[in-house]
Amino acid sequence: MNKHLEGFGLGLRSEHYRDFVESPQRVDWLEIISENYLVPGGKPLHFLDRIRRDYPMVMHGVSLSIGSSDPLDFNYLRQLKALAGRVEPAWISDHLCWTGTDAINLHDLLPLPYTEQCLRHVSARIVQVQDFLGRPLVMENASTYVTFQSDEISEWEFINELVQRSGCELLLDVNNVYVSSVNHGFDPHAFIDAIPVASVRQIHLAGHEDHGDYIIDTHDQSIVDPVWDLYAYTMKRTGFIPTMIERDDNIPPLTELIAELDMAREIARVEASGDSSRGAERVAA
Amino acid sequence: MNTLLALQQRFQKAVISGDQQYANAMPGDVRGRLEIYANAYRGRLIDVLADNYPVLYRAMGDAAFRELANTYISAQPSTFRSVRWYGDGLVDFITEEDDRIPHPALADIARMDWATRAAFDAADANPLTHAELAGIAPEKWSDLRFSLVPSFDLIDIDWAIEALWHALNNDENAETEAPEAHRHSLIIWRYGLETRWRALQPLEALALKAVQSGASFAQCCVTLMENGSTDPAAEAAQFLQLWITEGVLASVLSG
Repeated sequence: MNKHLEGFGLGLRSEHYRDFVESPQRVDWLEIISENYLVPGGKPLHFLDRIRRDYPMVMHGVSLSIGSSDPLDFNYLRQLKALAGRVEPAWISDHLCWTGTDAINLHDLLPLPYTEQCLRHVSARIVQVQDFLGRPLVMENASTYVTFQSDEISEWEFINELVQRSGCELLLDVNNVYVSSVNHGFDPHAFIDAIPVASVRQIHLAGHEDHGDYIIDTHDQSIVDPVWDLYAYTMKRTGFIPTMIERDDNIPPLTELIAELDMAREIARVEASGDSSRGAERVAA
Repeated sequence: MNTLLALQQRFQKAVISGDQQYANAMPGDVRGRLEIYANAYRGRLIDVLADNYPVLYRAMGDAAFRELANTYISAQPSTFRSVRWYGDGLVDFITEEDDRIPHPALADIARMDWATRAAFDAADANPLTHAELAGIAPEKWSDLRFSLVPSFDLIDIDWAIEALWHALNNDENAETEAPEAHRHSLIIWRYGLETRWRALQPLEALALKAVQSGASFAQCCVTLMENGSTDPAAEAAQFLQLWITEGVLASVLSG
């Protein structure tokens, strides 16, 4: 069963290991990229164990490839489960995507067609993974640059249906909603309005690269105003949900990310009625 | 017919080929910018190879490394869950044809990069201590076998790359000279969290290779004697003491 988590987090990056070890930071919890710690030993696991003593964590994967036509990789899942035994994360998340087929991994979060066939395929696999891990899986909406001619429903309809069929939970990436809305010309508020609030465990915020008529989701910049606005809109609708900033490249000093996290804190305070436990009460109810 | 599989195979082929013609041949499938996936695919894996081969990247320079990486990516797409392991075939790839690298010493640099990358996150170990060895009765010594720490690797190289590797590893703009030809061995391992390496003299290399292949202390002495050692037992004992001090040995395997 997934556990409870409160407050505001950051993605743990090796550039900040020392900061977290040497002094307490105003970060309530940390998210690790699971694959970075699926290694035999050395510094990654040393710092993971050390920092885990002081911070609650969640695990975030990038290669489950839940939507792939390849069979599920139980060798990977066994490693993931062993890491979860070590980290004891509040939950385990990955992306609603595929990363490759025919045994090849493109190491990217590739788009899925929103069709009945794909829904059946993905929901059945989520159920299998949840059975194996013994806990609900938390699925994140990905940024996309194409849609498929074969799409039968919208992304948010697909996600709603998936939650109902598989019992999975959601990691709502507000930046990804915004990126995809610009790339495909839909109203991001319609997405937020449609999301099943009770299933959302976590929120991601991040920066991107704006090319005018399209956006590339790079996680190497500060968060932009339209994404903050969409976050405020989300908080107003959902009440507080544990929120974090993802920064994967062009990594700034930790103090800069904490300052950015303070902006999220302020928005949540105003828009989610200043009650950071409201989300928790809602989940408990 | 599995339309999802067929769709993913077409999509993957378009991304891997990076060919605009092919991407344009898919309008029946997608709306939007397929080329973003194709560009990101190449760019990401080039960065991964540069991360996994940091000194090779610096020694070759950005343009030449990208060209090599692009050829490798086309030849060997990733089958790993984590990019951590991508590039495991690069040394073989650059040595199987003469014209893939501008100087043959670059293959040795790649070997050293990959071995240090492997030592970095290899399994932890409690190295064998002098006290543990001292506790073994002298009459048992001849049958002793040793295991090496999991991070240990011994590589045979043809060029004296150490100075260049060390300089570029510390400073991407370091002034370096082309290495001289010099056939020898290097060992690379991790002590605690610190990755270490050093060059071996020929006799020590033979002794360590013998240990690595499971030879007993007595067999190591024979190897040393056959290769010109005048006092093999004393020399083998000295090597053992050194390896224990350096944290290279993991444990004694009884005879």
